[in-house]
Amino acid sequence: MELFLGVDVGSVTTKFVLMDKTKRIVASCYLRTSGDPIAALKEGLRYIERHMPEGGVICGVGTTGSARHLAGVIVGADIVKNEITAHAVAAITKVPDVRTVFEIGGQDSKLIIIRNGVVEDFAMNTVCAAGTGSFLEHQAVRLNVPIEEFGKLALQARQSVRIAGRCTVFAESDMIHKQQLGFGKAEIVKGLCEALVRNFINNLAASREIEDPIVFQGGVAANQGMVQAFRDFFGGKKRIIVPEEHGVMGAWGAAILAMEYAPEKTAFQGFSVVERNFTSRSFTCTDCPNACEIVVLKEDNQVRALWGSRCGKWTPETATNRLEEEEDTVPSLVFPTECVPGRCAMHG
Amino acid sequence: MRATFPHLLHLDIALGILYPTLGIEIVPPPPITQKTIEIGVKLAPQNACFPLKVTLGNFIEAIEKGADTIFMVGGVGPCRFGYYGQMQRLIIEDLGYKVRFVLLDHPRYGIRPFLDALRTMAGGRISLPRIIKAVRLSWGVLRFTEELEAQRRALRCQVENPQNLDQVIDQTLEALRSVASLEELEALKKRAAEEIASLPRNGRKDFLRVGIVGEVYIAQETRVNFNVERLLGDLGVYVHNSVSTVEYILHTLRPITRSKEKIEAWKLAKPYLKRFVGGEGIDSVGSAIRYAREGFDGVVHLYPFTCMPEIVAKGVLQAVSRDFDLPILHLAIDEHSGEAGLVTRVEAFVDVLERRRWERKRRLEHDGAFPWR
Repeated sequence: MELFLGVDVGSVTTKFVLMDKTKRIVASCYLRTSGDPIAALKEGLRYIERHMPEGGVICGVGTTGSARHLAGVIVGADIVKNEITAHAVAAITKVPDVRTVFEIGGQDSKLIIIRNGVVEDFAMNTVCAAGTGSFLEHQAVRLNVPIEEFGKLALQARQSVRIAGRCTVFAESDMIHKQQLGFGKAEIVKGLCEALVRNFINNLAASREIEDPIVFQGGVAANQGMVQAFRDFFGGKKRIIVPEEHGVMGAWGAAILAMEYAPEKTAFQGFSVVERNFTSRSFTCTDCPNACEIVVLKEDNQVRALWGSRCGKWTPETATNRLEEEEDTVPSLVFPTECVPGRCAMHG
Repeated sequence: MRATFPHLLHLDIALGILYPTLGIEIVPPPPITQKTIEIGVKLAPQNACFPLKVTLGNFIEAIEKGADTIFMVGGVGPCRFGYYGQMQRLIIEDLGYKVRFVLLDHPRYGIRPFLDALRTMAGGRISLPRIIKAVRLSWGVLRFTEELEAQRRALRCQVENPQNLDQVIDQTLEALRSVASLEELEALKKRAAEEIASLPRNGRKDFLRVGIVGEVYIAQETRVNFNVERLLGDLGVYVHNSVSTVEYILHTLRPITRSKEKIEAWKLAKPYLKRFVGGEGIDSVGSAIRYAREGFDGVVHLYPFTCMPEIVAKGVLQAVSRDFDLPILHLAIDEHSGEAGLVTRVEAFVDVLERRRWERKRRLEHDGAFPWR
């Protein structure tokens, strides 16, 4: 059986999708990146290996997300694509007559306008955190509500509180103010969802016309409070679809792109990647005031990839020499190996 | 007098020939780097536009290298560029640097200060034949640097190895710095043309074509705009840039000189934008329309964040985009712009253009013969 693998390494979560030739998802997983994309990639690969159907062969791999190039090198990708294209392709596959895609992830949010099955326009917010999942997560922590319960709580509210959502800092102080006025948690949560929707529309939609059906995807689409807030915003007049696979749409799109690209022989490195030893090291080039940060991805002692240089002067050999030099001159920082839980400022 | 001036792509090559021929010693600012930007951002008002910050960084770095006179151009109009010079002069004076600021304003705002500034910039004494000779040579050099960059944009997607192309062009640009006569310039032009023509091609003919429009500084200065044109070229796109210093100067000195390109762009923009909105607002609109007529696949609009004329143009360009069915990517650049977000946007934009072309082809095949045959 011919299978295709899609990998989406985002800022907060890492997604894997294993798909067959009919674009049906065979297996998928959704993991926390936790600041270590290499570990997350290995964990995902282990999961996919366990869920490989009998006789299945991986014939193509696509990667996407903010760490798409890193993932491409480690897993061995046939195609490396940006998130916007990957999300659009998956949405078109799921809902062929889709006209608008809302995607809200951990660190950015996207609005994609589709006409006749082709992307016509898109907008992406990468600067402000007030329109993304991180904002909701942060506020959930403040309110002491688990993020999984957040949406359900919003649905219980009978009315909402208007919270200034233009900026995370002001939203937080406004939220505390409303709490102190005596509003209930559910009302405040609902208010937050509505603030995020307003922010999304103001920042991304601008003068673009939003036509339905709308596909709402990304990690935040799991939040029923957000879905309801979008429905309320449009006065219930627009059809909003939340696909079952909303969390892994980017990875699914990457798998579909890998299939369309149809490599003769896949660059897939095999599941043995999890056994291999990848390390990424970085140094600051001091040859000119640009001070580029050069990242070197190594497998054991061999340089697999390097990026970050503006002028392109670094080669695997010179970069390795430079790293060795740095090791000689800079004494490595020694961290205490053990800390007492409860007393350590970092872990307590 | 040790004079300096702001960077604008390869303007330093041309000025490096002009001033020494006039007998003025110059101290060109070091190339624009992250440090230049940091200096400018630290010293300039936070809400000033980005080119002011970068050029201020240029001045400070040049003063540190020993410059004692600054040559800057000014202007009056709806764009903030007019007070760049004044503001930078005040900032530099406040910092306690002892430098002379020579500001060349348009003669229509006072012929006396214009002539005084011009006299200083021309080395104190106006000897007409000498000036004409120097201007002709440096003008030719400036033109040639722009032609080279145009070749780089157009050929990046067509040569086998873009690095070789960069090498040829960068070497020619370096050689241009020591050109002493028009004959030498011609010889260099010929040699560069031969070298570029001999580069092996990859034989591609079906590349996408994208035009660049926008503000004169950000749209040209590749060290500031994250080198969008190179990024596009590496994605296999033929790039044309409508923004040029040569045309800018020709248009500013009208009616003595005239820029055919700008006159055409202004005419094309008429149905959308009737009045001058400052800066290159009209040019952006007109050039986008020209690209649409010439069958380009898309347009990238580059401008500094908070640039008023380009924000007006952005609004108008939405109508152009709709009427001509031309995708336009707007990119506002300032010190807070993140490279990752910009790269994702540009990649996605190229994907949009590719899919559109693909879809059009598929529909043509599906619906039968070409309608115009």
